[in-house]
Amino acid sequence: MSADERIIETKEITKIFPGGVVALDRFSLAVRRGEVVVVIGPSGSGKSTFLRCLNGLEEIDGGSVVIDGIPLDHRRKNRLLIREEVGMVFQSFNLFPHMTVRENIDLAQIRVRKKTRADAEETTMALLKKVGITEKADRHPHELSGGQQQRVAIARALAMNPKVMLFDEATSALDPEMIGEVLDVMRTLAAEGMTMVVVTHEMGFAREAGDRIVFMENGRIVEEGETERFFAAPREERTRAFLGQIL
Amino acid sequence: MARRAALIDYGKFFLLAGLTVWLLTLGTHGLGYHWQWYRIPRFLFTTESGVWTAGPLLLGLLVTLEISALALVCTLILGLTAALFRLSASFTARTLARGYLELIRNTPLLIQIFLIYFVIAPILEIGAFASAVLALSLFEGAYAAEILRAGIISLHRGQWEAAHSLGLGLFDTYRDVILPQAVRRVLPPLAGQGISLIKDSSLVSTIAIYDLTMQGQKIVAETFLAFEVWFTVAAIYLVLTFGLSFAVRVLERRMNGIPLRGAGGIA
Repeated sequence: MSADERIIETKEITKIFPGGVVALDRFSLAVRRGEVVVVIGPSGSGKSTFLRCLNGLEEIDGGSVVIDGIPLDHRRKNRLLIREEVGMVFQSFNLFPHMTVRENIDLAQIRVRKKTRADAEETTMALLKKVGITEKADRHPHELSGGQQQRVAIARALAMNPKVMLFDEATSALDPEMIGEVLDVMRTLAAEGMTMVVVTHEMGFAREAGDRIVFMENGRIVEEGETERFFAAPREERTRAFLGQIL
Repeated sequence: MARRAALIDYGKFFLLAGLTVWLLTLGTHGLGYHWQWYRIPRFLFTTESGVWTAGPLLLGLLVTLEISALALVCTLILGLTAALFRLSASFTARTLARGYLELIRNTPLLIQIFLIYFVIAPILEIGAFASAVLALSLFEGAYAAEILRAGIISLHRGQWEAAHSLGLGLFDTYRDVILPQAVRRVLPPLAGQGISLIKDSSLVSTIAIYDLTMQGQKIVAETFLAFEVWFTVAAIYLVLTFGLSFAVRVLERRMNGIPLRGAGGIA
């Protein structure tokens, strides 16, 4: 793929946690514009850490991260730009509990994108419609189910009109009956051509929506490949063992 | 069963209250104290042909209120600044805040009042009133800072991360996300600090400020009505502090239409 197509490019990133645990070990990955990459692996393999390095939530100890041509270095301007262009959805939703659903989604549009409230509201209502919860606009997060909260969190991230969306185990904290509604929204996004990096244990979603699967363990990529090939004919013994356990 | 237990509990309370009053009466009898409550009202206010004049105690109360209100505002500003400095990434800011907190919390307030009034006030060319407000704000601000800091760090890390990932800057994150939640959480201890401030303000009577306590002292010196005057002064402070706690409780209840914990924390 050409440099122009790569919207995310990490080269040899290393992350060492205090205490000496190597979470990422010279990890390199490039993601194309519009690609949906699903990252899988056992817990502690560094999946979430990798995502968090992409928007600067974790500082890398070595290597480089470039998002849409902007290097994530020590320049404040670059860091801020990347945070604005990369949306993130968390396992624990992290909605702002003191604000209504509407205010949660308005906030960054007004503060960061400098939109007027009326402008922001328009986008907010359109996004709520997209994730299917317009009727909860004036409720507070605690009045919503987990699935609804996560859909609001997705809408909130989308409100910034990001170029990339990161999903960090977005359905892991949900009751089983609510996982589907969140995955539906994610599928829609994928189908619309959003660039997504998804850390998940939902293999059904991975197969269906993923363009490429990355299997990692101990901070390294064990195997990666185009979705169909990856599931049909995994090359590595370790991949087969992992898939055998979870499928 | 529960009703009977409650009844016994009330019984115990009234028994204790009665015992206290009895002991107090016995004590004052023993001292041969001659109560003269009728002489107190004129120190609160006098009315002469329908014209209402505030007595020394009410004038003192006004000064106490003025000092407390001004110091409360400064305490909150100072406390917030010191809390943010302590949590700052800058070494200079953190050290500054640490130094301030340690210095203030490890010396007596009375000494601080004297130092500010006798040493710093002449240099800055400020009067007793300004010295009093400054000393009280510096003192209570140190405690308010620790309360606010506790509130801020009690919030789930996810709140910071969500704000970060939305591209909010530090200022916006504090203003819109962190502080509204943190302040709501620490409102009760913060109110306690406000009550401490009102009570501690009685110490400014030592630097020739005619606050409620100073007026009380003066009246006692002139009339020897020690029991009546100090009971009255204490009651006035009680009204002030109860008033403040009540106001905060109303505020809390209004804010609590929204829960403190919930979606933002661990799911």
